[in-house]
Amino acid sequence: MTPFASPRRPIDPVVQLSIRADSDETRRASTWLGEAGSARGIPAEPLWRLDLCMTEALANVLAHGGPEVASNAIELRLDVRASGSGGEASVTVSDRGIAFDPRTVQPKRRPRTLQEAEPGGHGVTFLRQFADALDYSYSEGQNHLTIHVRWNHEKALAEKGLR
Amino acid sequence: MAITYEDVSDSFRRIVLSGRLDSKGTDEIAVKFAALSTAAKRRVLVDLTGISFLASIGIRAVLSNAKALQNNGGRMVLFVGGNSAVAKTLEATGIDTLVPMFANAAEAEKAALG
Repeated sequence: MTPFASPRRPIDPVVQLSIRADSDETRRASTWLGEAGSARGIPAEPLWRLDLCMTEALANVLAHGGPEVASNAIELRLDVRASGSGGEASVTVSDRGIAFDPRTVQPKRRPRTLQEAEPGGHGVTFLRQFADALDYSYSEGQNHLTIHVRWNHEKALAEKGLR
Repeated sequence: MAITYEDVSDSFRRIVLSGRLDSKGTDEIAVKFAALSTAAKRRVLVDLTGISFLASIGIRAVLSNAKALQNNGGRMVLFVGGNSAVAKTLEATGIDTLVPMFANAAEAEKAALG
């Protein structure tokens, strides 16, 4: 080792981003999640699910959060943990909008015909279907929604027929 | 987001969407997508193979246009090829059963024209 070389610093498993409440910023949040998640070793499939759920959670905040959302930042926090042969990642979305727990929303009934189908309302379906777990709390005027995804490298390899 | 189209015949149009169909992406193509899919062409195949991300707002646009087309006596089908993320997203909402979705291009075309 030369006198100028420094040991590589371990990557921080927690990273945060603050965004404004608009669609450009939602896109910026996805870019941030993609880069931060890849750098922390989240595989592509759970990272896609996390991005989809975060995007839908932010869309809900923007559409239904009320006037407080526009005048306050939305805070995002990514946590990544290794566990056994896999890992878990979570994104927490914190906003000052109207209190809303997406876990309490009844799943949308599947329409039988195209004429019966109502555009919209699929965001909560995605949260329920693509997150491995959802946590919600409301404290000091803020919603905190945490979206969890998990993965298992050995299971993924087995499913691809590589094990 | 990019949107292109090809009129295969007088009554059959292929629309190709590519990029990220999130809120920003849907805003970028919404007007053109609606105009192209509900115009005089009665059969429309929407090629989603180049979609890198499909959010619920993008599905909303597909559904609205498919409904409008049906109300005008037309039909829309979706072609996803090997894009499993887009297929999973559509399947999660059940939209794939209302606007037929195909992985095979020839089958998609046959269904659109059938």
